[in-house]
Amino acid sequence: MAGKRAAKQKDDGREPAADDAAVVVLPPDCRLAAQAALKAELLGVLEKGAIVVLDGSQVERADTAALQLLVLFRRELQACGGTLDWRGASETLNEAAGLLGLAQILELPAAGLA
Amino acid sequence: MSAVDLTQFHKTFFEESREGLDAMEAALLALDSGSTDHELVHTIFRAAHSIKGGAATFGFSDVAAFTHVAESLLEEVRSERRAVEAELIDLMLRSVDCLRAMLARSSSGQPVADADSEALRGELMRLASGEAAVATVVAPKAAPANGWDIRFVALPHLLQTGNDPLRLFRELQQLGRLEVRRAFVVDRAPARLADLDPSQCHLGWELRLHGAVARGDVDAVFDWLDGDCELAVEAMAEETPAAAAEPAPAGVPAATPAPAADPRPARETAVASSEGGSIRVGIDKVDALINMMGELVITQSMLSDIGENFQLSQLERLREGLLQLERTTRELQESVMRIRMLPIGSVFNRFPRLVRDLERKLGKQVKLELHGEHTELDKTVLEKIGDPLVHLVRNAIDHGLEMPAQRKAAGKAETGTLKLNAYHEGGNIVVQISDDGAGLNHAAIVAKAQQRGLIAAGQELSDAEVAELIFQPGFSTAAQATDLSGRGVGMDVVRRNVRDLGGSVGVRSESGKGSVFTIALPLTLAIIDGLVTAVGHERYIVPLTSIVESLRLRPEAVRRIAGGGEVFHFRDEYLPIMRLHRAFGCADAITDIERGIVVVIEDDNRRVGLLVDELLGQQQAVIKSLEAHYRRVQGVSGATILSDGSVALIVDVGGVVRLGRRSKAA
Repeated sequence: MAGKRAAKQKDDGREPAADDAAVVVLPPDCRLAAQAALKAELLGVLEKGAIVVLDGSQVERADTAALQLLVLFRRELQACGGTLDWRGASETLNEAAGLLGLAQILELPAAGLA
Repeated sequence: MSAVDLTQFHKTFFEESREGLDAMEAALLALDSGSTDHELVHTIFRAAHSIKGGAATFGFSDVAAFTHVAESLLEEVRSERRAVEAELIDLMLRSVDCLRAMLARSSSGQPVADADSEALRGELMRLASGEAAVATVVAPKAAPANGWDIRFVALPHLLQTGNDPLRLFRELQQLGRLEVRRAFVVDRAPARLADLDPSQCHLGWELRLHGAVARGDVDAVFDWLDGDCELAVEAMAEETPAAAAEPAPAGVPAATPAPAADPRPARETAVASSEGGSIRVGIDKVDALINMMGELVITQSMLSDIGENFQLSQLERLREGLLQLERTTRELQESVMRIRMLPIGSVFNRFPRLVRDLERKLGKQVKLELHGEHTELDKTVLEKIGDPLVHLVRNAIDHGLEMPAQRKAAGKAETGTLKLNAYHEGGNIVVQISDDGAGLNHAAIVAKAQQRGLIAAGQELSDAEVAELIFQPGFSTAAQATDLSGRGVGMDVVRRNVRDLGGSVGVRSESGKGSVFTIALPLTLAIIDGLVTAVGHERYIVPLTSIVESLRLRPEAVRRIAGGGEVFHFRDEYLPIMRLHRAFGCADAITDIERGIVVVIEDDNRRVGLLVDELLGQQQAVIKSLEAHYRRVQGVSGATILSDGSVALIVDVGGVVRLGRRSKAA
């Protein structure tokens, strides 16, 4: 699983990720079993940065619990005055978020941009 | 007329109507499978007729109007002006479903006629009097709903049951266009991410499902979520009804009511029972009860006669009287218990229909065999066993039995056999669901378990261990998911429900030959026959049904094994000895094995010997929950009060055997 700042400056032309932006790469299997780790990672970046970049391009499997985690993460991030950016989101992630009506709340970019 | 409050009869009407519908369904299915018995037609007609009459009397005009059309169609069949055709049977079966739903709605005070029922009524009328009738049949209010507004709020534990809203929404999408009008985080969600338990769900949705979807189909999606979510489904409010006014095409809904038909009545009965359900008792049972009562009165008067002016010479008569009292009390108790016992046939009866519908939907051929329908079960147990059984039957047909072509290729008959069997075994009722299908897919289960992290990669598992995996929460080999089963909701819920009833469920499977699911249920939840044993100053009750033998061991029969365990030789095997005084920490107990008594108990074909001080006698014990009064204690299933007023604990045989085996293994 990629570390917090693993893929810091792999510029894909979309994210003007500032140097202090924390990057979290969502794991390919982003389902319930993976979420304790993901939560810890998200909590870590919550303390740090004003800008958090999520990379969802590798997500192959997602479930409601994953999206709920992201929604609550974004809510808290906003409450602290931070912003959330996406470095990409896989089709799976988009499909799941779309189906659950959470794509807009999460401000997911369309698939393929990743 | 107005002086009589008819509402007091409503409940009876609903009950009778449901029974009528059951009879109608059974007769229709018999006709469907080729029976030409004319009496069946009469049965169907009579049922429809009395529902119509009752509905009209009690002012359920929608039900009456619906049944009227069905009845006139049936009248034509009865007078042999119309042949019994597949189309007619299909339509009638759907009418039965529809009437069930209508009755359920009437009994809960909701509007009775809906789009489905009116569309169906249209079809019935069209069949009854030719195509011309269609236009006049469909009244404006008859328009099917254009969709459903669904409010769905997950309860925290929803995800833990293996249900994922994502999957549910996908299923809804299959029915029609799904629009998420609002997704929200509920108030009880933790404010801070740090406090979030990811396995708890705190989301809610307002959905709109567009399209002429039957209510039953919507309900079917949320089947099994009872108690795991808050759910409200309402017909979509706006949009002009005209567009969808034509009756639904005959073929489409025909296949679908099956999942809807089962959950709904079940849910209704659950509601009814919570408000003090009623029970129908055969007159013979009541007579037996009155007989016993008479005996009891005689015994009582005899005893009080002796007591009036007692002399020692009457001691023998007193003893006799007491013996008689004991006997009568026991018989009375049995008679009373029997009142609550109902034949399992009432649950089995829903399966022919379920199987028929699944057959058509999946294109499989299934022969259903029912055995032991007369086996009686406690009403509470019976009510709760329905859903798990439905689930197992669906699974067996969906996953177990192969498609006809596959079966042929495997050298089996194209028609698969599904057997339901109920019988007594010891103090239990055993229900078996067996199929001659492909058996559990060993490889797929192992792969899934590894993927879910339940077992390590490369771990070798025995068949029994693999079978056990399917009972893990949320376990479903999703590769074979269909809308019938494989929603990831599954065997764990079945096991939970069965365990709640004090029963157990297991599976045996042989690749290519089929699987057998076995559910063992206690006969009653309240009383057991037990052997009272003494250990130190304590009394323990061992359920009689699990005792194999009790014996006194000679010292040389006992062997010590490494690790401090003790075993003894018993009928070709070595059994571990479980010292009850050690397990439960009793002081002043006999510790020499040769001075105590060993009671051999058996659970699930595994045996251990319990060392106790002595046997005090046999007694019936009314089980009091230890959990309710104290807390759960390992190895103890409950407590009871002895005749001298002291408390005795009841040994949980399953738990003790497991403990004993573990200490042997250690």
